[in-house]
Amino acid sequence: MSIALLLILPFTGAITAFIIGKISKKYAFVFAEVIGFLLFALVVNIFLNYTKPINIPLDWFTFGNVTLPFGIYIDHLSVVMLLIATGLGALDIHFSHDYMKEDPDQARYYAKILFFIGGMILLVSAKELTGLFVGWEFMGLASYLLISFWHQNNTPADAGVAAFLYTKFGDIFLFAAMGLLLYFTGTLDLQKINLLASQNQLASSVSFVIAIFIFIAAIGKSGQFPLFPWLMRAMEGPTTVSALIHGATMVNSGIYIVARLFDFYEASQALIVVAAVASLSAFIGATSALVQKEIKKVLAYSTMSHLSLAFIGLGVGSLSAGMTHLTNHAIFKALLFLSAGAVIMSARHNKDLFRLGGTYKKLTLVAIFMALGALSLSGIPPFSGFYSKDAIITASLLNPQTHGIISTLTIIAGVLSVAYIFRVWLLIFAGKPRDLELNEAITTPSKFWIALPLGIMAFATLALGFYQKELRVYITGEEVGEAHIEYLLPSLLGAIFLVAFIVYKFYKSRPDLRDNLAAQPFMKAIHRVLYNGYFIEQMITWFVQVVIIHSVAKTIHWVEVHIVDGAINKTVAMSHSIFMLFSKTTTSKVSNQAGVMLLGVFSLFVILFIGSVV
Amino acid sequence: MSAFTLLFGFAILSFAIRNRSFLKLLSLSVLGVSAYLTLHGYALPLQGFYLSDGIAFFELILFIVLSAFVLNEDENISITQTLFIGTASIALLESQTLLNFIISFEALSIISFVLVANIKNTTQASGAVKMFIAGSIATALIVLGTTFYLFEGASLNAQIGSTGTFGTIGLWIMLSGLFYKLTIVPMHTWAADSYAQIKASNAALLSGVAKTVAAIAIFQTFSPFLLQHIAFNLPILIALALITMTLGNFLALFQKRVAKILAYSSIAHAGYMLLAFVAVKSSYASTGLLYIAIAYIFMQSALFLLIGNISKDSTQLRLDDLKGFGKKDKLVAFLFTVQLFSLAGVPLLAGFLSKAVLVYAVVDVDLPIVALVTLLNSALSVAYYVWIVKHIYFDEGDSKLQSLQALPLFAQLILLGGTLYFGVFALDVFKVII
Amino acid sequence: MSYVALIFLPLFGSLFIYLPTRNLGGTKYITLALFIFMFSQMIALFTALPEHGYMMLGEYLPVTKFDFILTLQVDRLSVIMLLLSSVLLILVTLASWNVEKKPAAYFSLLIFFSGAIFGVFLSTNLLWFFIFWELTLIPMLFLVGIWGAEGRIYAAIKFFLYTHIASMLILLAFFLMYKESGTFDMTLIKESMLSTPVLIYFLLFIGFAVKMPLFPFHTWLPDAHVQAPAPVSALLAGVLLKMGAYGMIRLVLLLLPETSQKYAWILLTLGLITLLFAGFMALYETHIKKMVAYSSISHMGLIAIAMSALSFDSLSAALYEMIGHALIISPLFLIAGFFHQKLHSWEMKDMGGIMQKAPYLSAIFVLAGLGALGLPGTMGFIGEISILISAIESFGAWIVVILFGSLLASAYLIWTFRRVIYGQMSAKVSATDFSMHKVEFFALVIFALLILFFGIFPSSLFEVINQAFSPYLNAGGAL
Repeated sequence: MSIALLLILPFTGAITAFIIGKISKKYAFVFAEVIGFLLFALVVNIFLNYTKPINIPLDWFTFGNVTLPFGIYIDHLSVVMLLIATGLGALDIHFSHDYMKEDPDQARYYAKILFFIGGMILLVSAKELTGLFVGWEFMGLASYLLISFWHQNNTPADAGVAAFLYTKFGDIFLFAAMGLLLYFTGTLDLQKINLLASQNQLASSVSFVIAIFIFIAAIGKSGQFPLFPWLMRAMEGPTTVSALIHGATMVNSGIYIVARLFDFYEASQALIVVAAVASLSAFIGATSALVQKEIKKVLAYSTMSHLSLAFIGLGVGSLSAGMTHLTNHAIFKALLFLSAGAVIMSARHNKDLFRLGGTYKKLTLVAIFMALGALSLSGIPPFSGFYSKDAIITASLLNPQTHGIISTLTIIAGVLSVAYIFRVWLLIFAGKPRDLELNEAITTPSKFWIALPLGIMAFATLALGFYQKELRVYITGEEVGEAHIEYLLPSLLGAIFLVAFIVYKFYKSRPDLRDNLAAQPFMKAIHRVLYNGYFIEQMITWFVQVVIIHSVAKTIHWVEVHIVDGAINKTVAMSHSIFMLFSKTTTSKVSNQAGVMLLGVFSLFVILFIGSVV
Repeated sequence: MSAFTLLFGFAILSFAIRNRSFLKLLSLSVLGVSAYLTLHGYALPLQGFYLSDGIAFFELILFIVLSAFVLNEDENISITQTLFIGTASIALLESQTLLNFIISFEALSIISFVLVANIKNTTQASGAVKMFIAGSIATALIVLGTTFYLFEGASLNAQIGSTGTFGTIGLWIMLSGLFYKLTIVPMHTWAADSYAQIKASNAALLSGVAKTVAAIAIFQTFSPFLLQHIAFNLPILIALALITMTLGNFLALFQKRVAKILAYSSIAHAGYMLLAFVAVKSSYASTGLLYIAIAYIFMQSALFLLIGNISKDSTQLRLDDLKGFGKKDKLVAFLFTVQLFSLAGVPLLAGFLSKAVLVYAVVDVDLPIVALVTLLNSALSVAYYVWIVKHIYFDEGDSKLQSLQALPLFAQLILLGGTLYFGVFALDVFKVII
Repeated sequence: MSYVALIFLPLFGSLFIYLPTRNLGGTKYITLALFIFMFSQMIALFTALPEHGYMMLGEYLPVTKFDFILTLQVDRLSVIMLLLSSVLLILVTLASWNVEKKPAAYFSLLIFFSGAIFGVFLSTNLLWFFIFWELTLIPMLFLVGIWGAEGRIYAAIKFFLYTHIASMLILLAFFLMYKESGTFDMTLIKESMLSTPVLIYFLLFIGFAVKMPLFPFHTWLPDAHVQAPAPVSALLAGVLLKMGAYGMIRLVLLLLPETSQKYAWILLTLGLITLLFAGFMALYETHIKKMVAYSSISHMGLIAIAMSALSFDSLSAALYEMIGHALIISPLFLIAGFFHQKLHSWEMKDMGGIMQKAPYLSAIFVLAGLGALGLPGTMGFIGEISILISAIESFGAWIVVILFGSLLASAYLIWTFRRVIYGQMSAKVSATDFSMHKVEFFALVIFALLILFFGIFPSSLFEVINQAFSPYLNAGGAL
């Protein structure tokens, strides 16, 4: 019963919130908040009363002889994801009260937010790939709608397009995987697929292809190389939405699906591909985050980089490392985003880091909570981020397949986190105000609506640091021996502090050093590459614009107009020439008419004669 | 007493009372009595004439159509001529021997000449002369063919029996002469000009009535011959049929004058009718021919009468003059369109079913390619019919065309009834045999 | 109530609405009432259907010598098509509530069309089937030619001639079948045919492929759809194209299964080409209605692929997608046409930001568009997934390439949303009033609800669809 409620409530709630919001603007929030916390309560209830996986097989529809199932399966992994989605979702809605206060379209906003959360709930509660795919696509839609929430302007509208199409590119591979799995294994049940794979009942070449297909979808959803540009563009949406996408819901789904099919991935030997792509993404994300000018862009690249770390965790064979990192990341990233949101909101929706600065006094609480989130992200003990990141790096070093390039990239990405997040924090809060006028205008945000959710998240990210082992056990269901590499921890911490020191020098005490460095032509070039995210987006755009649209589609258009339809239109000219030809045989002169008749009859008889002779 | 006698007598009488106003009414009643007589099987009371139920049925249709002509006519002299055409047609249809056939055919030709001799202007004169000259060539050919036929000692006063070489040549010469009336290539050259240049109601009689009557009569008389030398005749007939319809359709395509389009479409329909000769082996051939004759007599007559009524000079009626007609006169435009669609072979109208049966007859004798070419021809013909419809309905414009008077409108409704009835109720045609 | 009246009453009754010179007004109410009545009749018929096989509704006008008998028989397949058609007719009538130009003539043509379309799906005699098949063209010719946009005449005549030529091929095929079997009754003909010449297959194939339409016989469609008034485009896409697909299923695939099996690759190839070719065309298009038209063609390609798989599963999937396509493409056409009516422009560059002016209308456009790109929750997704699964069963794994069609659809639709619905308001849009008549909007809402309902609860539809094809299964479970 509560399961059904959990699945249906977000959607009916979305519709109701919209209607209520259309009647009276402010009640949309109230309603959405009630639904948000109700959902969280339902999940907590499931969490507390959990004894064994909830397994509800259901059929969706039958066409011909094929039945497509749509069952519910909630195990520990799902519960963790549900807690993240609904918990952070509820806080996000709470935060939205102030953030979206002035927006005239609140009804639409809360409806979409609830729909978004509903999509995630559906995704993680699905027993089969069908339900998962439905949730997957719902989130794609919801992110599209939310990113382009301010659709009146062109940039958010464009960003929504990018989000939809980049992820949709991946989605069709998941769609294909669904068809292929049903064909080759006869089932879409995720547990059964794992079981079949671990019993080696699947041809490895087939399952490898399917695993890669699914991973491509995960790349799209979780913003990995090369399908990450949408993640940065998505910053055009409201910051609360960014927090939801980057923390609570959407981007986690890619990792979730690989984790969900972990046995399958292991058996099909596709994990190494996951690790390889993810390590590259981690590196790209971490380096690009270093030079961004907007707060949210930094956070976006950091999301990319940290999701990659989670993927690496899975890719190197450690489900627990990957999933705990995902969990930790969800919380501190939501915290960071909402903190950034608080800053942006207070600073009159200014996102440019270099116009902020010295806001610590006015935004003390936000600065503290953001610092806690930043520490967790940087991987400083005892914050939760430290444990999972450490576990991932350890695992990547221990795995002989990934020891080398992959583990190096992982370590670089892990260490660089501190650089970009510390840089952001310094630029926002420390020093003197760079834009006095803006600084004047900054207001202190509300404690209840803004600081409270931040505080809860900050507490969570700190507290969760002490429950890492329990979390690992809860997710994987088994006690995993903690692997250790000697000197790893001190050297990592040393590196982190060294990097932090450099950042401090560059952005606080000696900005001239930074400027001198940046003035080097070589550094300038690197800066450009990093700032533009390695020009991946430009390349993809070029490919789509020039190759797909202006070459392929244009050619096809030409063929259609000049050949396929051209031939049809040619028939008119052709019949006209036949008409002209026949017209030559006609005449209005009586003598000619008679002549033609006689000639015709004569030739008829000649033909008859020849015919009879032959 | 038979329909022939009655009509013949009355036609002569009508000349005497041509100035009386009751002529029209009287003619209608005579046509009605003739229909009654025909239905009761009174054939022409001379040797060598026979009235089969199929012919009786067709004559009945003929009388209905002739009534429409009479209703439509405003000149009493034309009524007389119409009655004469009817008389000759009956004789031709009921002929069983070759001699009767030739005589009736010539009679029909002569009356046709008289008909077009009612000349009002130079255009009509030109049309009449063209027809006359073509007709005389045809007569010459028929006579020539007859002599060849008689070479082998065959009798004219009988049905066509088995023939040797000379007989075959003779009959083919005769056929080529007869094809003049059917406007089969190469005897078609006069038709387009004449149909488009003479008075519209005369054109209706010639292309609507005389042609169909001739087609049925020729088929009836010559089918034994065609069957006898089928292997030899078939390729020629196929070629003639296909060339005729293709030529007619293509020539109708880009015409600017409505009468000209109808004239060429008439040639194309001659090609379709010739398919019955092609498919003579099939039991569907005669039904198909009868059907297309019935359908054609309604739709072609209706169209020529219509353009004669709505314009002062039907020979000069251009497509552009039709612009906006659909708006101006809903009902007449509708009548026009229905008959056009019937010619085009749109279903639920007689034109479709008749063509369908004929094409099936061709399929029945294992000539699917011929059937395909015919169907494609029919599709091609749709182009120019729709082109007329386009001018009537789609184009904006101020139509200066006239509306119909009550009687011509009534005539049109009769013809419309025929087109609609035979588009749905096919059984009447199928249950009779020529 | 005799079912033959459902055909001939509209066919001839429409004349009495058209011909009176004094406009009586209120023709739309008569039309709507008639269509609702027809719909209710079809519901009643549906509930009365036997478990298997055909239900005889009557035989009329028998010409036994030529087997030219108006036999009315229905099975589930035809009743599904009848229900779909009558629903669309009702919605299209509602969507045309505001026709300004010659409403009496307009609605009389709709009524005429309804009679013809009922004839197509009710009659099992091939000749009568053909008669009604052809009759559907007549009202369409006039609806496009008189009420269409600037290029209406070219489009109307092209449509008429193109499809008429295709019909000629179909007619020839029917004749050849009659020659082989001695019957025109499509329920008996399969057993009666002595042999099945390949020619019959190809004639029918091309004939129906034009109507569906499949590459390379599709070029009449963009013109006709674009120039037609919006409700008529909806009718074209929703009913006329489905007629082609219905013919392909009933008279090609089910009637000539062996030949179809042998040449399934042709259908498959053309389906694939149609899917991608039209997809790229839609991608390149900046003309909003042409984009929708090509999207429609592209989806028909998908249906063709499903048909070519020739299994119980795939035919069910194809029929579902046919219904889904009808319900999804129709509102897209209606709204695109409405935009044009208001903005007097087809070009997307003149649009943009319509969401700000007409949010609910835009939302329905987006919803239907999402349906077209196969988003779960809409009918498009169910159609796509069932087609994908059934196609893989028949053709193997490589057939997943059809998903590129889905990707293309996403691209062109999302870009269209961006250019038309979202973004800054163009000068033209901000100067335009987008208020829509309530009744017309109501029709769109019904479309939206149907798309969602059958997308979320597809089994309600599939139960019927599966039963429609189960009688054709042989002992092995194959067709």
